[in-house]
Amino acid sequence: MSAFLVCAILLILCFAYTFWPTGQLLVQRNKSQLEFLHERKDVVYDNLRDLNFEFRAGKYPEADYNAQRATLEDEAAELLRKIDILAAKDPAAAAALKTSAR
Amino acid sequence: MNPTPAATIDSVLGNFSLLLALVLAGYNLIFGAISLRLIATGARTRVHPVRVLETARRAGIACFLAVTVAAGCLVYASFTGDYTVSYILHHTNNALSGAYKFSALWSGQEGSLLLWAWLLAAYGFALRLAHKRDPLLTGYASTILSAIQVFFLLLLVFEAPPFAIQAGPVATDGFGLNPLLQYAEMVIHPPMLYLGYVGFSVPFAFALGALMMRYPGEKWIRVTRIWTMITWLFLTFGIALGMHWAYNVLGWGGYWGWDPVENASLLPWLSATAFLHSVMMQEKRGMMKSWNIWLIFITFFLSILGTLLTRSGVVSSVHAFAESSIGGWFTAFLVIAIGVCLFTYLLQRSHLYSEHKLESLASRESSFLFNNLLFLGACFAILWGTLFPVISEYVTGSKVTISTPWYDRVVLPIGLGLLFLMGIGPLLPWRSTSLQSVRRNLILPGLATLAVAISMMAFGMKPWADQSSFFSIVAFSVGAGCIVAIFTEFQRGVVVLHKQTGKNYFTSLILLARRNPRRYGGYLVHFGIVVLFIGIAGGAFNQEAEQTMNTGDSVNIGGYKVVYQNMTQDSNDNYQSDFALLDLYKNGKKIASLAPERRLYLATDQPSTIVANHSTLASDLYIIYAGKDSDGQPVIRILLHPLINWIWIGVLIVLLGTALAIVPEYKGALPKAAAKPEGSAA
Repeated sequence: MSAFLVCAILLILCFAYTFWPTGQLLVQRNKSQLEFLHERKDVVYDNLRDLNFEFRAGKYPEADYNAQRATLEDEAAELLRKIDILAAKDPAAAAALKTSAR
Repeated sequence: MNPTPAATIDSVLGNFSLLLALVLAGYNLIFGAISLRLIATGARTRVHPVRVLETARRAGIACFLAVTVAAGCLVYASFTGDYTVSYILHHTNNALSGAYKFSALWSGQEGSLLLWAWLLAAYGFALRLAHKRDPLLTGYASTILSAIQVFFLLLLVFEAPPFAIQAGPVATDGFGLNPLLQYAEMVIHPPMLYLGYVGFSVPFAFALGALMMRYPGEKWIRVTRIWTMITWLFLTFGIALGMHWAYNVLGWGGYWGWDPVENASLLPWLSATAFLHSVMMQEKRGMMKSWNIWLIFITFFLSILGTLLTRSGVVSSVHAFAESSIGGWFTAFLVIAIGVCLFTYLLQRSHLYSEHKLESLASRESSFLFNNLLFLGACFAILWGTLFPVISEYVTGSKVTISTPWYDRVVLPIGLGLLFLMGIGPLLPWRSTSLQSVRRNLILPGLATLAVAISMMAFGMKPWADQSSFFSIVAFSVGAGCIVAIFTEFQRGVVVLHKQTGKNYFTSLILLARRNPRRYGGYLVHFGIVVLFIGIAGGAFNQEAEQTMNTGDSVNIGGYKVVYQNMTQDSNDNYQSDFALLDLYKNGKKIASLAPERRLYLATDQPSTIVANHSTLASDLYIIYAGKDSDGQPVIRILLHPLINWIWIGVLIVLLGTALAIVPEYKGALPKAAAKPEGSAA
């Protein structure tokens, strides 16, 4: 008898938890192209930061460093250009992104 | 024997909990999949699909509760000696200590499958609790995990029920636990290994989910990487515990016998290690996306294959359980999983375009590529060797087993190649490398490599003498180069931070590790691997002696003198023991008394060897009481294993490095060095 009682309690607990009414729904919107570009920009900045650190640590000769840095800066500039174009098209989304980043 | 009683509370509740868990996991799978589909298509429904997805997530959490109750019931049955449950009757007995009664949970087929299911539910619980970070991706991962959960629960409910009732009258004592499992490490080795095997389901679920939903950007890969590292940590620890157990318990003097079940644990480890390296290319440069997805898939398939090999009895092994019918279930599951992954990949592969191309063969990217090829090469070779007996039996009708020398010939060169890449890879810049950069970074490690190789040959080592000497000299010299490279990396970073912040070198070292824990944790892992290789290379200097001994007889080995004194016996409720009492001398001075032991377990009537080990950093003197000769005199086997403890030290460093690499990086500003007062000396 006690075994069946424990089983019943477990059943009620599990189903009550599963179907208990939810309050606010977590509706996730799709990531915008602007957010995606910001993510890419952050990665390129991280790469630049690592490159600078390794250069200061004496790992790369100056010529290699300058070449690598120029490539990464070009990549970052291209991303910033695309970000500016998209932000100009949708200033509200850009502002919202800035707020969430803060 | 007592008459047959009614089913006990633990078996009724255990069976019910498993059934309930199956219903909940099934709900999670079906309604999770439906709601995700509705969200993806944007279809309008009476009930918002996100609300349904939330109930699916909660069902997954409730499933964890139900499986926990089931696992608890089995442990309870073990502790209370409920021999109405067939599993408890066959894997425990009254005389077992508490720890071994607890470990009975994973000492048999049904229990270990229950542990799989419980660990999977626990990982799922953690994942589902953290859903707010990315609800949709977590929804996909949760649904995929629930599919795996359903498979294991189906097995537990229909094929290998842990709460099956033993027919006939109830026994008053059980048949006992396998003596090989009655060892302290065996209490934690299987759970650690399982945490590794099962854990790979989580990165798999995230990767497949991200591919299904065409997740924009690379953020999903960070989640996947962290889960992979946590799982890798457990698997590494589990494998190392298994090696240590084999070394101390199996009594053959080795720690790795290329046993199929050992190999099965190494396979997902190798592919996951390849992933942890190549994922950096995706995060840093948006490359290798398809490759990485497949590495994660393959790691999951290999962890399932490992479980199949261990559980089904397909291959003969000291670790494997008896042949059973669950092999068919696992094979079907594996085929379905591969089919789903292949289908999803073909459907979504356009999403996995590479953002950059390989620019030079001398670059960080290419070193990762070669490292991946070697890891996968090792993986394939070991898989081939493991499955060869099965394949040969299928093709020729006779089982051909591949032995240790084959593995040594194939895998050791690959290991040394990886060691070499480990030394030079981190020193190469991304994209391309100039000759000047190569000179600047590789001269010092190169010199260290040469210096060690020349010194070893000067001290009489001949790399051309035999394979073992060759591998040993290469491992020591390349290892020295790696250590110099790793320390140079730390030293350079510390000097930069010391100059920038004005902090002392130790504080700068801490700051360095906090600022980039992944990189410096990774270097620590590399250092641990070098130490481990040094321990393995010490095997080239092993010595061995075996002798029947009378009182006062002695054996000289590696500067030690082992003197046999006499025999003694002992017994308890669980086993009877014979000890050979030995004294150990070094430089004419007694340094220890050792007592290698042979046990006879009463419940199972099985013998077991307990090794006596005099362990130092320089070597292990490993003594086995091998039995008695026809005159009743003890046969003592003595092995000297130089540097073997560096293997375990290396593993500890690897674990420490991995733990460091998981820590989130410090993103705050660094303190600035105080400005020097005017007029002070430069």
